[in-house]
Amino acid sequence: MKKKMLACLLSAVTVVVALTGCGSQSKELNLYTWDGMFPQEILDGFEKETGYKINYSNFDYDEDMLAKLEETQGADYDVVIADDYILESVIAEGLATKLDTSKISTYGNINPLYQGQFYDEKDEYTIPYGAGIPLIVYDPSKVDFEITGYEDLWDERLEDSVALIGNYRVIEGIVLKTMGESFNTEDLDVISKAGEKMLALAPNIRVISDANTQDYLLNGEVSVAFMYTSQVVTALMENPDLKVVYPKEGLGFGIMAAFIPSKAPHADAAYAFLEYINQPENAAKCFEHICFFCTNKAAEDYISEDMKEAIVVPASISDGEIIQNISQEAEDLHAKNWDNFKVACE
Amino acid sequence: MKIKRKHSFSALLLPMYLFTILFVFLPIVYMIYISFMTRAEVWGFDTHVTLQNYMRILEPLYLDTFVRSLKLAFTTTVLVILIGYPFGYFMAKLSAKWKARMMMLMMIPFWTSSLVRLNGWVIVFQSNGVLDKILMGLGITTEPLKLLYSYPAVVFGMIYALCPFMILSVYSSVEKMDWSLLEAAVDLGANRRKAFFDITFKMTMPGLLSGVVLTFIPSMGLFFVADILGGSKVVLVGNIIQEQLTKGRNVPFAAALSVILMIMTSLIIALYRKIAGADANISGLG
Repeated sequence: MKKKMLACLLSAVTVVVALTGCGSQSKELNLYTWDGMFPQEILDGFEKETGYKINYSNFDYDEDMLAKLEETQGADYDVVIADDYILESVIAEGLATKLDTSKISTYGNINPLYQGQFYDEKDEYTIPYGAGIPLIVYDPSKVDFEITGYEDLWDERLEDSVALIGNYRVIEGIVLKTMGESFNTEDLDVISKAGEKMLALAPNIRVISDANTQDYLLNGEVSVAFMYTSQVVTALMENPDLKVVYPKEGLGFGIMAAFIPSKAPHADAAYAFLEYINQPENAAKCFEHICFFCTNKAAEDYISEDMKEAIVVPASISDGEIIQNISQEAEDLHAKNWDNFKVACE
Repeated sequence: MKIKRKHSFSALLLPMYLFTILFVFLPIVYMIYISFMTRAEVWGFDTHVTLQNYMRILEPLYLDTFVRSLKLAFTTTVLVILIGYPFGYFMAKLSAKWKARMMMLMMIPFWTSSLVRLNGWVIVFQSNGVLDKILMGLGITTEPLKLLYSYPAVVFGMIYALCPFMILSVYSSVEKMDWSLLEAAVDLGANRRKAFFDITFKMTMPGLLSGVVLTFIPSMGLFFVADILGGSKVVLVGNIIQEQLTKGRNVPFAAALSVILMIMTSLIIALYRKIAGADANISGLG
């Protein structure tokens, strides 16, 4: 009798284990983006509310993501968030799913200002998740003149006191802007001239760093920094006396957006996730976490006052130019200019 | 008969051969192969054979980078010898108890990742950092010093990262030294200086040379030291390779740079072997 009971018990356990095993396999979401793109609260909340388990994997560069997707032909991942220019390649290569927006009841919350961009003109594949403009921020107690544009960074009063982000397309882009050219020019002569002009900026550069650039400004290592929106916001929240400059030569602009890869193994989970993160309260928490411009209109009411003060979206944002893919020769010349510039900074 | 037995023993060496082939030889062949390919549109490479990547290295920008890297490696090595040799020498002359203690002190930093340790130096040396606060608190300076993000800061980081290798290799060769030779030299009338240069220095040459190899070669490739303490303004071969692999998306060019770097370091090791081989007393990193 005992043996029989034990056998029954064991088989029951086996069945339960097998069932939960199956269950957990289909109740998963493979999320693929940079590290730290979501607050833990949101990830936990989604798992609790929907029962899907999130597997968060990350990449450092957009190109790594594209290489992975090409390798798996759009399988393995359910939701990917990446930068504008790479989305153009992803869509062109057929690696993204056409979205069925009827499955995302919160789709209407998205701010149309950030839609209809060059990489997805009809908004068929992507949903924006954060946007930004790299800006100049300076400490007025240490700079005795008013900075109004990129051109002021060349001022000799700023010798050895400027921090820059390390994205060469952005930095060379602002040099091009001071010459009245586009970020995306493929004219090699123009790019060469920009490279020469950039050399004259070298004596003013104290540090080049992509990570935590705001720290150099906050601890007094530099008096001026040109950095990403998230860093601008973090700096201002820490020290509201800093001054932000919306450069008169024209703004750069960037959007990150989410898409579902063409062979996503758990597409339902992907729709559930996109729905969840676009609920106003949740979206607000996400934007407070990533410190980029909020691309969800309904979320704006839920964002804290401090944050709203630090993050002012300029009216002219849609005039901002986005960095796009350019010819290989032009890209190579940019890379070379950049190395020459860094050597000149030493 | 003897020879045959030796051969059967070599089966035990199979794992080592396999390891070397799989993880050393094949990757190098693959790297050389890629270095002759063309870069692909987005990532990876296309299989069109080209010499373009090597031609590009001849551009002044990249040639200068090799020269700069060599200069930095040379400066670092000289300074590491000046600090590491006496350190290792005197450490080997300590009592057994103190030797063990010193060894422990040398090892403790290795328990932490070198990236974390370098960032620790940033906290100390940055403007208004620990050092500035102490100096200003004591009234020695009145405003923050700008110590970081310069060439000397990178040299400092290199010395910090590589000095232990010099100390340890000098230490082990001084420890193995037969001190009776030194006594004999003194008994035969050599003064202390002559005894040191004729006996001690020569006997510890293998340690010094292996320390040089262990310092010189890594210092050409430690790109993160230049990034963290040099504020990305000091550009070494390692930095260019890293940048071409990531942001530059030019894998074949990065491979070509790596091949040249590898040839350079192999030449240095060959030179070391030649010097080491010239002196019968010297044996070391085989």
